[in-house]
Amino acid sequence: MTAPPPPHPVVETRHLCVQLGGRRILDDICLTIAPGKLVALIGPNGAGKTTLLRTLLGLIPVQSGEFNLLGCSELRTALPSIGYVPQRLALGDGLALSVREFLALRRRKTRNWFWRSRQNLDLELPVIAEELGVRPLLDKSISSLSGGQLQRVLITFSLLDQPRLLFLDEPTEGVDAPGERTFYEIISDIHRSHGLTVVLVSHDLSMVHRHASWVIALNGRVCCEGAPDDIIREDALREAYGLHVTSYHHHHPPEPLPHPHPHSHSHDHNHPHVH
Amino acid sequence: MFTEPFMQRALLGALILAPLCALLGVFVTARRMAFFSDTVAHASLTGTAAAFLVGLTEPTPGMLVVSLLVAASIIWLREKSGLYHDTIMALLLTGSVAVGTVILSRLRGFKGELHRVLFGDVLAVGPTELWLAGGLLIIVVCGGAWFLSPLSLITTSEDLAHVSGISVRAYNYGFIFVLTLTVTVSIRLVGILLVGALLVIPPAAARLVSHNLRQEIWIAVLFGMIAGAGGVIFSYMADVPCGPAIVLVSIGLFLVSLVVGRLTSVSRGRQRSV
Repeated sequence: MTAPPPPHPVVETRHLCVQLGGRRILDDICLTIAPGKLVALIGPNGAGKTTLLRTLLGLIPVQSGEFNLLGCSELRTALPSIGYVPQRLALGDGLALSVREFLALRRRKTRNWFWRSRQNLDLELPVIAEELGVRPLLDKSISSLSGGQLQRVLITFSLLDQPRLLFLDEPTEGVDAPGERTFYEIISDIHRSHGLTVVLVSHDLSMVHRHASWVIALNGRVCCEGAPDDIIREDALREAYGLHVTSYHHHHPPEPLPHPHPHSHSHDHNHPHVH
Repeated sequence: MFTEPFMQRALLGALILAPLCALLGVFVTARRMAFFSDTVAHASLTGTAAAFLVGLTEPTPGMLVVSLLVAASIIWLREKSGLYHDTIMALLLTGSVAVGTVILSRLRGFKGELHRVLFGDVLAVGPTELWLAGGLLIIVVCGGAWFLSPLSLITTSEDLAHVSGISVRAYNYGFIFVLTLTVTVSIRLVGILLVGALLVIPPAAARLVSHNLRQEIWIAVLFGMIAGAGGVIFSYMADVPCGPAIVLVSIGLFLVSLVVGRLTSVSRGRQRSV
């Protein structure tokens, strides 16, 4: 009896090189991400983490090499199944767009939002909007949101129409600590229950260690990759970040989670912190 | 007043073109494209001159051709030259005015036409302009059902629009094409110097009193209709050029919106603080 063939990778890059402003940002990136993983991209500032995500989304041209997402040879075919939360997005504030309208823009179902009632549009909202506390914001103008509120709205936007692959570029920047924990819990929950593949850029190594199933350390090239326990260690991080890595011992217990469906986690209190 | 055919045409033209400009203007102002529409409008001067130079009696075909060429040049130079948008548009705007003025100054008997092109004239709205305006209205209203969501998302964030599978470049070109045609046809009514006001003032007034995009679009269209019809009637009654009359009514609406917007935001602030 032969073993079943391995699942087709969700993200596959072959010798990917990217140059911006005459400087090579990514060099010979060869990656394979299997479906259903929650992958964290870590590395120092300027390591090319955001550039890698934006290149995979077709927002930055490839200098050489190739990639494919969700097994599609054409990026355009894959895009409708991809969610994306960008880093510090400056939304144009020229339109008096409300949060309700903004969330309706992406979905095929609500493309005719202009002619539909508010109640009717609200019925189409996913449960995630409730969990992320977006419902009270629906009548607000998108330009009047605080950084944390905008980030929660963008996360909801990225999860509309049940994507198969989610790219998150420092998604909790500007979100307060309880909100950040809630967010990671929700992403973890969705990842587990829907088999969603998540590629996440984060500087929060504690959250990465707690939630990621695979970690890729990047610094212009792939320095190392592996399970969180193998990568979030001083020796491995030193290669990616340089010499400025020290380890702190946390003595406080994990805080209770505000998420409606809390999960138990083994909490490692000995994570290296990066300076 | 409304029994005279030229007034009927002018009123009908104003009732189509002013709300059309206001609707497109919602996106023009949000995308900071007011200077683009001004440049395309000024290109019509060369179009008018070129039309008369080749012996046409109606300037509209020349205006359309030259304005579309200038719009395409802006896009091409923006993608190929690496120059700032403002620089490219200032270059083409001043260049168009210079070429148009030089040609018109060499032609005899077109001095009145220059004034008409610059400031607009109710008499200039003929059947050709009405057919063009009607066609544009059909395109925008029918297309709006399909394009409103992608265009709104592109205006809010081109990155998110791209990742949502929207062909940002194709929509941008389509928008520029429709905008250029609308601006050029509207020039017959309000003139080159004032067509920008029709694109900017009613949407800006609507933005001040709107809480969401749906409201903003409806109010901008309503303000456009009031400004267009009110301006034509004011122009006839006060015997002043049509373009300035429409702009003055628009400014009146803007001032009212400014006061209403301030009052409602103050009252909302009070409610929050109670």
